[in-house]
Amino acid sequence: MNQPVRPDVPPSPTPYAAPPHGVVGQSCGRLDGATKTTGAIKYGADLFWGRAELFVKVVRSEHAHAEVKSIITSEARAVDQVMGVYTHNDMPGTNLQGLILRDHEVLTSGRVRYMGDAIALVVAESEATARLGADAVQVEYEPLPVIDSIESALAKDAYPLYKAGNIMGGKRIRKGNVDEALAGAAVVVTESFETQSVDHAFLDLEAGVACYQDDLLTIEAPGQWVHEERRLIALALGLEPEHIRIIQPATGGAFGGREDISIQIYLGLAALKHPGKTIAMRLDRAESVRARHKRHAMRIEYTLGAKSDGSLTAAKVTVYSDEGAYASTGPAVMRKAASHATGPYRVPNVSVDVYGVHTNNNPTGAMRGFGACQMAIAYEGMMDRLAIKLEMDRFDLRIKNLIQSGDEVTTGQHIQVATAVECAEAAMGKFREVNGGLLVQPDEAHLRRGFGMSVICFGLGYGDGFPDCARARVAFDDAGKAVVYTGGVDVGQGLINMVAQVAADELGLQLDNVRVVAADTALTDESGSSSATRQTYFTGNAVKLAAEEVKEELLDIAGAHLQLHPHEIELTSGFARAIHVPGKEIAIKELVAQGKKRGYKLDQQAQFKPGTLCEDFDTGQSPRSFVTYLFGAHVSQVLVDIETGEVKVERHIACHDVGKAINPQAVRGQITGGVAQGIGMALMEEVISKKGRILNGNFTDYILPTIKDVPHVECIVLENTDPGGPFGARGVGEPPLIGAVPAVLGAIQDATGTAPNILPCTPERVWRMLQDGTNA
Amino acid sequence: MTWHLECTINDAPVTRDIPEDLTLLDFLRDHLGLTGSKGACLEGECGSCTVHLDDAPVCSCLTLAAQAHGRSVCTVEALAESTTLDPIQQAFIDTGAAQCGYCTPGLLMAGRTLLDRTAFPEANHLLTSIEGNLCRCTGYASIIEAIQIAANESKA
Amino acid sequence: MFYRPDTFAAALRLKADHAAAIKPISGGTDLVVGLNRGQSLGVDVLDLTAAKDYRRIDHADGSLILSGGTTFAQLEQLDIACLARAAASVGGPQIRNRGTIAGNLATASPAGDGSVALLALDAEVELAHADRGTRWLRLIDYFEDYRQTALGDDELISHVRIPTPSALQASAWYKIGKRGAVNISLVCAAAARFLDGRICLAFGSVAPIPMRAVQTEKLLQGQPLTGALLHQAAQAASAEVKPIDDWRASADYRKAMCAVLARRVLEQLQTDDERQMP
Repeated sequence: MNQPVRPDVPPSPTPYAAPPHGVVGQSCGRLDGATKTTGAIKYGADLFWGRAELFVKVVRSEHAHAEVKSIITSEARAVDQVMGVYTHNDMPGTNLQGLILRDHEVLTSGRVRYMGDAIALVVAESEATARLGADAVQVEYEPLPVIDSIESALAKDAYPLYKAGNIMGGKRIRKGNVDEALAGAAVVVTESFETQSVDHAFLDLEAGVACYQDDLLTIEAPGQWVHEERRLIALALGLEPEHIRIIQPATGGAFGGREDISIQIYLGLAALKHPGKTIAMRLDRAESVRARHKRHAMRIEYTLGAKSDGSLTAAKVTVYSDEGAYASTGPAVMRKAASHATGPYRVPNVSVDVYGVHTNNNPTGAMRGFGACQMAIAYEGMMDRLAIKLEMDRFDLRIKNLIQSGDEVTTGQHIQVATAVECAEAAMGKFREVNGGLLVQPDEAHLRRGFGMSVICFGLGYGDGFPDCARARVAFDDAGKAVVYTGGVDVGQGLINMVAQVAADELGLQLDNVRVVAADTALTDESGSSSATRQTYFTGNAVKLAAEEVKEELLDIAGAHLQLHPHEIELTSGFARAIHVPGKEIAIKELVAQGKKRGYKLDQQAQFKPGTLCEDFDTGQSPRSFVTYLFGAHVSQVLVDIETGEVKVERHIACHDVGKAINPQAVRGQITGGVAQGIGMALMEEVISKKGRILNGNFTDYILPTIKDVPHVECIVLENTDPGGPFGARGVGEPPLIGAVPAVLGAIQDATGTAPNILPCTPERVWRMLQDGTNA
Repeated sequence: MTWHLECTINDAPVTRDIPEDLTLLDFLRDHLGLTGSKGACLEGECGSCTVHLDDAPVCSCLTLAAQAHGRSVCTVEALAESTTLDPIQQAFIDTGAAQCGYCTPGLLMAGRTLLDRTAFPEANHLLTSIEGNLCRCTGYASIIEAIQIAANESKA
Repeated sequence: MFYRPDTFAAALRLKADHAAAIKPISGGTDLVVGLNRGQSLGVDVLDLTAAKDYRRIDHADGSLILSGGTTFAQLEQLDIACLARAAASVGGPQIRNRGTIAGNLATASPAGDGSVALLALDAEVELAHADRGTRWLRLIDYFEDYRQTALGDDELISHVRIPTPSALQASAWYKIGKRGAVNISLVCAAAARFLDGRICLAFGSVAPIPMRAVQTEKLLQGQPLTGALLHQAAQAASAEVKPIDDWRASADYRKAMCAVLARRVLEQLQTDDERQMP
């Protein structure tokens, strides 16, 4: 809209008063802040400078679905400065990739299933000549029918993309007796939702370098799980993992988009073929959008039943998700969608069927929210619709049905500490601080104001019995600094500060006496992926456990020095101090020096592996599907131009219970960033494709929220200690996005009287919805 | 064909023979090793490549290096004076405005222009000054806060 | 070859000599985007950014004469509502600092914000040739077909002439995009009312070219802008435009938006009129 209404930007924060000791809970600035603001830090493409000797370009399919009849590389090889052209025949290993199923050829041998499939690899002395070489590779295709939607994949006579057909798999949940409960329900609401394909659109495009020397393949490229990448590269290239070293460069965002392996295997293959040379590769935006996995587009059919007093009795949910050409992390996304189908609500009778459907679109996999995001759009959309049908207040209806501590979620897991109600009340309380929550409608007849709300839950970690473990090492170096070693990658979310603050707090150090070595398979142990909102909980715990053991050693040394029992000593602000004797203290630096001389190791490793239990195959029930749950609630206020369909988010409140904010500033950053992505998903972001060809694969056409699209987000951070988390922390990464989308949609419904069910709510969709009463 | 480029980069005179179709961004990154300016969209949508060309913020990805002939270019690498950070850099650190950090150099250059031109930026000016810079991580809240703090510092 | 003349006259000479074999460049928002996508320039390049006499704004006889190299950042500062607002809606500040009015007109994108605002101002464009001299064209006659204009291969856009603020009663601008800034319009509209009572109305993204709604304008001439007339004009505008369906928006939506936007910009003219009357 031309005259956006936007609350003033917030006042400058009051300076944070540092507590007397302990750095957990402090908004410490990023340890990499200085290098990030001076331009000194090196992201993948920054490694090219002074190092890159050969450049790689991949030839990708020109068809969304075709049989590759022949690949002729002779002309490409003849291009000046082209040093090599490689196809599947040159792959030394299995030539397979895929995080869950190894179903995706690195270089296609027979059939291409989407336009990102790679066919050949050109290595040349410059990027320009590599591109010329790639253009000279001749591929003969025999086109096959293109399946470009869930509908066409499920059609009776649909061409089968795989021998088993077009259904990749499924996941179901059965609890109680849904049909009976729906038959007996006083009110039943049915609706279908369509969510869209979304690109992660991190700014830092896939780029990195590799070199094979002395029997070691070193790859420096951004991913989300260096140890798993090493396993996958080893498999595809036929190497032992010990002969591969993965180093994560600085990484500009991930949001799930780096979970599937991207350029690493291509870099590795080129490096193996050109030993001793430093190989460089990067994707441009168009190639990144074309090649990489996306968020699942889902079609969700939802039926919700309730008693006349609003108590939910049954939910019947059927989900078809566009898995695209290959599995990616789709099977796990389906499981997460199923296990979050009824969100934070008590529903005694539940039936969920999630089907993954193969198409010739991009593979779909991990993206912030991971299936739970799409389900929140559905269950919160249903709560709004039910409230209307019952003529009940939306907030009251939610409060009535939200789980309390001890209640169970969709999977039957009883939640020890459920704070959904507290989150919802805090968010609404904040909203009502302005004018008691009563909205003033604009004078202009074509503008309508409304507000929406959402309450969500999220099981963190991989869950469902999947092995989930983090290891960490804490050691003092010779300079007396504590060093935290973690395999976890910092993709921008702040893992480095998180582990440093946990270790510093445990060891009584100031943050500048801690440094972090992260995400280098040669130097660090596996910490699992930076995904599933799991690093604070998992790696945070591992670091704390390792630090506790080092602390024990320090106290032991201090005890001898101060002639006190270790229990009478505390580590704080860089000193070991006698708790009851003022002035009796020794610097930790000194303790470290003494300890090292006397044979103390001051170097401890720890592992955190809490374990979860598989969901039952037939019922989807599990007493402990996730290690813990996160809760959050949002309220969003929008202004809708009912003539043009334009929507402006005017105000957004996000409340999240994070257990304990290790770094409150970083937590707020995750919340405001998640809300921005949520606004993007609700209003504008959509990968549009036709017959498997993406039409908007650049930032001119795939649009992201700008500063003018995101209001000042009012963050409420609740800290209800998690019994199992480090310092009581749970995590924060994904829930802010999950909560934001349905709150914005609910606000559009409130403003216009019509509930959207197709995303994103672009001006045209909102306009059409208001013309037809539906945005189909 | 090559172009004989003479310009000033971060206050130092630079003379190079460069390809005529080389962008300023590629010149900075691939020829001078000034990798602080980032490429992310290469079509003027994201602002990650923002540098100052004679004091005006421009997308270096859409500027030919030869177009900088006779002019002065300033990149993020020149914001700090030796080890003393510019107030806007410090503010970005203090507020957590650099999350993944990839958009940071471009935002710093866009924000610096605002502070250079406006002693007392109004909220609307502030937002407009960085509307050409995309950030995927922060939701912009900490960035707004950082530029405000830097503005207050500059006033003091 | 890359040419970087320091006067506009020298640029004209080069363009006349090389014709289609040389492409002018200013902001690079067209040419360099292509380059970044791996297309080669293919032709010589004529850089207009060193010609200091190509960024002037002069007043003459109730008109403003803008050099072709006037940037959107400069246009934003003008006291002409529709043009300033249209300019401010182009890209971000980085783009507005470099993009020029000549570039906008030469590219002739149907969505060209500057072109639409200038059309509503009934602007004239001066096409120049080193030897043949210059010719003035009404902008309405300049756009010919999709990305085709009256600009010859051997010519450059030297100036654009628009009425000064004092020669203009009011003007208005509205653009619909998918987000709050940096938008390619789904539909945009501009309107201007001149001292003689004439009203011009133009739309972007609804035809192969930025278009003037001349049929609708006829309805409006000499009539008070009553509610009934606004309604009639809105319907006429919607009927007059020729949008296509593409993935950005459907033709239906664009047509409907022309009605809405026509009414809005015309109403805006009226409000501005009233404001000016004591």
